[in-house]
Amino acid sequence: MTAYIVRRLLILPVILIGVSLLLFAMLQVLGPVERSALYVRDIPHTEGAIQAIIRRYGLDEPFFVQYWHWMVGREDPETGEIVGGILRGDLGFSRTGREPVIDLLKRRLPPTLELALWSMIPIVGIGIWLGIQAALNHNKPIDQAARVFAILGYSFPTFVFGLLVLLVFYARLDWFQPGRLSTQFSQEILKPGFTQYTKLVTIDALLNLRFDIFLDALRHLVLPVITLSYLSWALLLKVTRSSMLEALRQDYVLTARAKGLSERVVINRHVLKNALIPVATIAGSTVASLLNGVVITETIFDYPGLGSAAAAAALSLDVLTMLGYALFTAVLFVVVNLIVDVMYAVLDPRVRLE
Amino acid sequence: MSHLLEVKNLVTRFYTEDGIVHAVNGISYTLDEGESMAIVGESGSGKSVSVLSVMGLIPSPPGKVEAGEVILNGRDLLKLSPEEMRHIRGKEIAMVFQDPMTSLNPVLTIGRQMTEGIELHLGLSKEEASQRAAEMLSLVGIPNAEDRLNDYPHQFSGGQRQRIGIAMALSCNPTILIADEPTTALDVTIQAQIIDLVKKLKEQLGMAIIWITHDLGVVAGLVEKVAVMYAGFIVEMGSVHDVYKDTSHPYTLGLLESIPKIDSKEKRRLIPIPGLPPDLLKEPTQCPFAPRCRYAIDKCWEENPPLVAIAPNHTAACWRAEEIHEGLRIDLPAGEPA
Repeated sequence: MTAYIVRRLLILPVILIGVSLLLFAMLQVLGPVERSALYVRDIPHTEGAIQAIIRRYGLDEPFFVQYWHWMVGREDPETGEIVGGILRGDLGFSRTGREPVIDLLKRRLPPTLELALWSMIPIVGIGIWLGIQAALNHNKPIDQAARVFAILGYSFPTFVFGLLVLLVFYARLDWFQPGRLSTQFSQEILKPGFTQYTKLVTIDALLNLRFDIFLDALRHLVLPVITLSYLSWALLLKVTRSSMLEALRQDYVLTARAKGLSERVVINRHVLKNALIPVATIAGSTVASLLNGVVITETIFDYPGLGSAAAAAALSLDVLTMLGYALFTAVLFVVVNLIVDVMYAVLDPRVRLE
Repeated sequence: MSHLLEVKNLVTRFYTEDGIVHAVNGISYTLDEGESMAIVGESGSGKSVSVLSVMGLIPSPPGKVEAGEVILNGRDLLKLSPEEMRHIRGKEIAMVFQDPMTSLNPVLTIGRQMTEGIELHLGLSKEEASQRAAEMLSLVGIPNAEDRLNDYPHQFSGGQRQRIGIAMALSCNPTILIADEPTTALDVTIQAQIIDLVKKLKEQLGMAIIWITHDLGVVAGLVEKVAVMYAGFIVEMGSVHDVYKDTSHPYTLGLLESIPKIDSKEKRRLIPIPGLPPDLLKEPTQCPFAPRCRYAIDKCWEENPPLVAIAPNHTAACWRAEEIHEGLRIDLPAGEPA
């Protein structure tokens, strides 16, 4: 078990290097002149100035030399200081964010994290729970209803569903507003009296005992959470249901019943333990896809997270911000996959010993 | 004298989308303390369903035990509540299943799977239950039993897993062990080992056994009594000797003719039973075996023969049972493809 985790951890940097190489190679599709425009705020218009930038940042050097500099940074021939280097946290300057990309990512991550965390509640609570209930009541009304919900969920494109929700609950009913907080509170959380412990507004509000802010933040979260989670929970419901049905059919369930165990023990100890193995895998990658799938949802609900920052960057060809976002997403996926694999080994003894 | 187990007129049906499957159509048999019997029949003959009905393990819906009585020590099991029935299953009647590869839970240790039943039925503590589990494992011939309680099913071979299945079933001292084709999924050499093991355990522990199989050869040396099932009916029942030597039903004859004999001097073609297994969706009104029977007469197509005594403790359900019992044999018509 430990050996398995150590082995997986050793592979991790190799994968990450591969990912960064791939992303860097994509950037090289642009020529040195085009890339020179990425590094400066005022685009120079004379040929000599452009060449100066190319020389200064080494944009015409061999691929692997550039990759090395991109990774660890490079001494500026004019000032002598080290510039760039994603390992040093320098991802360049975001034109759309008007701040270094790393700062933009850091600032925009907490709202997205908050959105994703709240989305896990319906996903796990309703998706998995309903999937289990549907399987235990196979072909009964609750099963039929769950299936209809699920089919709607994964056949609705997010942007259509999101806009529908927005139209009904904001435009028509005005129950929930877009954004992250009402104007008055978004000023207030920046004041000295409000400590931002986690930068997740709902949690900070509770820690500051500001229930009015908590409720306001929650109100703003409802629509994006529903939109973001619907697809995932529909998927999880489907996976849980079929995995449960599969497990219920297994011979070992009959063995367990033949021992005289109560139905509760049969389900909890024998069926669920097997049925939830594939569910755990899907749930893991769901977290990653939630953090990643926020682009559309955040844009629709004007929610100031990573996704809307990425969307803004993409619309104005802000390559460095997009690159930073892509890098973040890639690292996230690799790490989540690692966690899922380890979880798999914890849950399934057959994987553990291979 | 009262029997340990008395099954009377048991009827089990499955209500499916295609219609009603008549899986078990009123079978009756008795089992005495320490007695062992075999229920023999081909796939779909209702042999497994009949014992699952006794265990109260018919999946419902679609299955339903529609009629009959299952009397164990004077109590009708079919009238017990699910809660009361749980205390019979695993304690009074235990079961070993066909495929040891799938009948053990892959994500629980052997120890856990064994002790859960022991804790439930014998009321032992965790440590005592583990000890009991280890004893049972050594009894069925698993070496280093104590250490292996923490292992998972995939760390054992197929034969070992079936031994574990048997140990699990016997761990609460059941009075009846039902073995549902426990050797079918195993290699022939391992089959013999498992049969020897069960024989040995029966001598040691003295439980009664119901052994379900499609292979008449397997049970010859193991049981005292045989019930042959076809299409949900018992078509012939008697002692092993009676059924094998004084066979009185054409289906039993067919089963015996299709077994290869290693020791026979003459060269002999195996004779298969022609035709297909019966359609259980039809309400049985004629003899269900008539379409495949060389001995069929007009009456067989009109009326289903009842199970009647041919000799003391030997019954058969065939209109020509007397004649066949006396030695009537009809060979395959010449030229018919075997």
